[in-house]
Amino acid sequence: MTHLEIGQVTPRSGPVGNLLLLAGCVAAVLVAPGIGVKLAVLLLILAVARAFTGSILIFARKLRFVAVFSLVLFVSQALSIHIGRVVLWGSITDQGLVSGAEMALRFLVILSSSMLFVVLTDPDELTHVLIRAGIPYRFGFVLSLALRFVPFFSQELSRVREAQRLRGIVFSYRRPSEVRRAIYYTFVPVLVSGLVRVDAVTMSMKGRAFGTDKRRTWSRPLRWTGADTLFLVLSATLAVVSLLARRFQWA
Amino acid sequence: MLSARSCRQGDGLRIEKLRVQYPRREAPALDGVDETIEQGELVVLAGPSGCGKSTLCRTLAGFVPDVIPADVQGGAWLDGMPLLGRDPSDISPFLGYVQQDPDAQICTLNVWQEVAFGPENLCVPAQEVESRVHVALSEVGILHLAERSTTALSGGEMQRLAIASILAMGPAWIFLDEPTANLDPDGAEMIFHVLGQLRRREGRTVTVVEHRLAPLVQYSPRVMVLDRGHVVERRHIRSHYDLAEMRLRAGWPQARSKAGQRLCSPGDPPLIDVMEIGFGYGGRPLFQNLSFSIRRGEVIAVIGPNGCGKTTLLRLIADLDAPQGGRIKREESLRLGFVSQHPHHQIFERTIRREYAIDGVRDESKLNRLLSESRLDGLADASPLSLSMGEQRRLTVSTALSRRPDLLLLDEPFIGQDRANVIWVLSQIREAAERGAGIVLVSHDVELVASIADRVLYLGDDVPCGSPDSVFAHLSEQGRHAYTPGYWEDRQ
Repeated sequence: MTHLEIGQVTPRSGPVGNLLLLAGCVAAVLVAPGIGVKLAVLLLILAVARAFTGSILIFARKLRFVAVFSLVLFVSQALSIHIGRVVLWGSITDQGLVSGAEMALRFLVILSSSMLFVVLTDPDELTHVLIRAGIPYRFGFVLSLALRFVPFFSQELSRVREAQRLRGIVFSYRRPSEVRRAIYYTFVPVLVSGLVRVDAVTMSMKGRAFGTDKRRTWSRPLRWTGADTLFLVLSATLAVVSLLARRFQWA
Repeated sequence: MLSARSCRQGDGLRIEKLRVQYPRREAPALDGVDETIEQGELVVLAGPSGCGKSTLCRTLAGFVPDVIPADVQGGAWLDGMPLLGRDPSDISPFLGYVQQDPDAQICTLNVWQEVAFGPENLCVPAQEVESRVHVALSEVGILHLAERSTTALSGGEMQRLAIASILAMGPAWIFLDEPTANLDPDGAEMIFHVLGQLRRREGRTVTVVEHRLAPLVQYSPRVMVLDRGHVVERRHIRSHYDLAEMRLRAGWPQARSKAGQRLCSPGDPPLIDVMEIGFGYGGRPLFQNLSFSIRRGEVIAVIGPNGCGKTTLLRLIADLDAPQGGRIKREESLRLGFVSQHPHHQIFERTIRREYAIDGVRDESKLNRLLSESRLDGLADASPLSLSMGEQRRLTVSTALSRRPDLLLLDEPFIGQDRANVIWVLSQIREAAERGAGIVLVSHDVELVASIADRVLYLGDDVPCGSPDSVFAHLSEQGRHAYTPGYWEDRQ
C-alpha cells in the first residue's frame, strides 16, 4: 500500500506534518501507561485515515495481518502472566489481561501509524524534505523509490504463489529440503522480476538525467497546509496528554 | 554535460561498423551495422526476436555498455556528436529512449511529477519545467490526467505518459521499443497517431521497434529489417502492397490460416460452465451476468479494451479468484494448464530438465521429444533463466502442455514474440485443441484471434460471444473497427 493507493485523498498534508503525527502517536504509546491513551490514539489514527483517505474499510483491511498478530500477542501475554486476581478459567489474571491489551495496542498503534504515514506521504515530497534536511539527492530519491517497490514485491510474490498452485506445486515444509525448495521456488522468480524491474527503472532514471547534478529543480515547492497545522496540534496534544498520563498514572 | 552546441543540426544519425558483443554470448548482438538516419524520418526496426533491434536503440541511447555491460566497437554520431562511450544522462536531452514496458519505467507516483522528473534533474528553471510538462502532456493528449496517480492509469495512458516524460527532456530524436506491445487496438491506434504527429507536426525523428507494420504504413516509414545483428533489408513502405511484397520476399508466413478439424460438437458436455458470473474491483463492476461454456476441442478467444477484465476472467476460470455473483461449474478432476503473460513467473528450477520434472516428465526420450518440439534441443541442462524471452515462452507453453491439460488458459502469449514464435504457439494451440483440450486465449491481436478461434468473446460495454465472423461484424456495427481483422489494411 502506498501513497494515494487507497482512494480519494481529500485534504492534503505534507511529509513534515505526517512525520509529526507519526512521532506523536508512537511517543504517546511508548510514554503513557495503561490502555486508555493507547486506545484513544488508535481511534485517532482510524479517524485520520477515514478523513484523509476517504475509505476506512480498505485501510482496516490492510491492517488485518497486524490485527491478527496483535490478538496473538494479547492471548499469549494473558496466558503467560499469572500475577494478580484470577478472573477467567482459573488461570487468567486481571494483570495478564491488562498487560496483554497494552502490548497488543502498542504494537497495533506503531504499525498502523507507520502505515498511515506511508499512505499519506507523497514520496517525491518526502525526498524534497530529506534533501532539505541535508541528505544527498541520490540517497533521498532511492529511499522514496523503495516505497514504490514495496507493493510491487508483494504483488509479484502472490503471482508466483499462484503460478505454483496452478502447476500443482505443494510444499510440505516437514523436511529441510522441502523448505529449501519452497524458498528457491518462491524467491528466485520474485528476485528475477525485481532485477528486471530495477534494470528498467535504472535506465528510465538515467535516460532522464538522474544524478547528472547534485542538485535538482523542485518545480512544485513544499507548502505548509491546514492539515499540517492540524497534525502539529494533534502531535503536541498527544505529547502533553501522554506526559500527564505518566505523571498521574492514568490507567 | 553536453551543450546544444555539441550537435550540428542536419547531419542526422550516422552509424559506422557498430558491433556489440554481450559477455558469455557466442554471437554478437550487432555485427557491423552501417546506417544513416536522416532528420525527420520515421524508421521502423523490424526482425525476429534477438536480432538486435533493442540493442541498437539501447546502444545509441548510451545504456549499452553503461547499464548493460557489453563490448562496443565502431562509431555512432548524432548531428556530429559522438554517442558511443557517453553517459546516457548526457545523451538524453538530444536522444530519448522509451522502453517497452511503460509501467516498469515510471519513477514517481503522479503524472505531473513523472513528466517533470527529467527537466528537474537537468536543473531547468521551475517556470520552464512547468511549461515543458504542459506541452509534453498536450502533445500526447493526456493533459487532463496531469494530477492523476500513475497507479491509476490504463496501459495506453501509461504508454503516453512514458512518451511525454521523454518529450519533456526536449530531444529531437526519439527511439521507442515496441510501444504498442501491451495495448488494446484502440490504445495502439492512439500511439501510432501520436508517433505520426510527433514526426509531422513537431518535426522530430522517430525510430520505432515494432512487430506490427500495417498500422504504420499510413506514415510511409522506412523499414530496416535486422537479422542476427545485421541489417538485411532497408525499404520505404508507402502502401500495403509494398509491405506484402517485403513480407513475401522475407518468407514471412501469412497470418490467416484455417483452423484444423475440431473434436468439438455441440452435444458434448462442457468442460467449464460459466453461469451468470459477476466481478469487480472497489465497487466498479468489470462484468455482470456473464455466461458461456467451454467444450473439448474448442478455442475461445477473449478480446476487449485494456482493463476490461480479460485476465480476471482467466483467474476466475482457474479458480484463483471467486466470482462475486453466479458460479462456475467445472468438470470433475479437470487438469488445467496456465500460460501467464510473463514467463519468469512460471519458471522455478535451475535446469530445463528439472523444470519439466515438475510436470512429471522424467523419461529421457519424452523429454528430448518435448525439447525438440519446442526448438530447445540440447538445452536440457541449461538454466531456464539464461534463455531468451522467446525461448522462455516456448518452455512455459511446452511445460503446460506436457501435463496434457483438459483446459489450457493462455494470457497474452504473443506479446513480444516474433513471427516464428507466434506461429509455433498457434501450432501448439491447434494441436492441443485437436487432442481434445478446451482452450481459452486472451489476446489483443485481432488478426491472430481471427486465425485460430472457434468463438470470440468481447468483454466491453456489451459482451457479444459467438463465431468470430458474427462478433467482428457486431463490433464493426458498434463502431469498434480497430477490433476487427483487416482494419489497418482497409484504412488505406
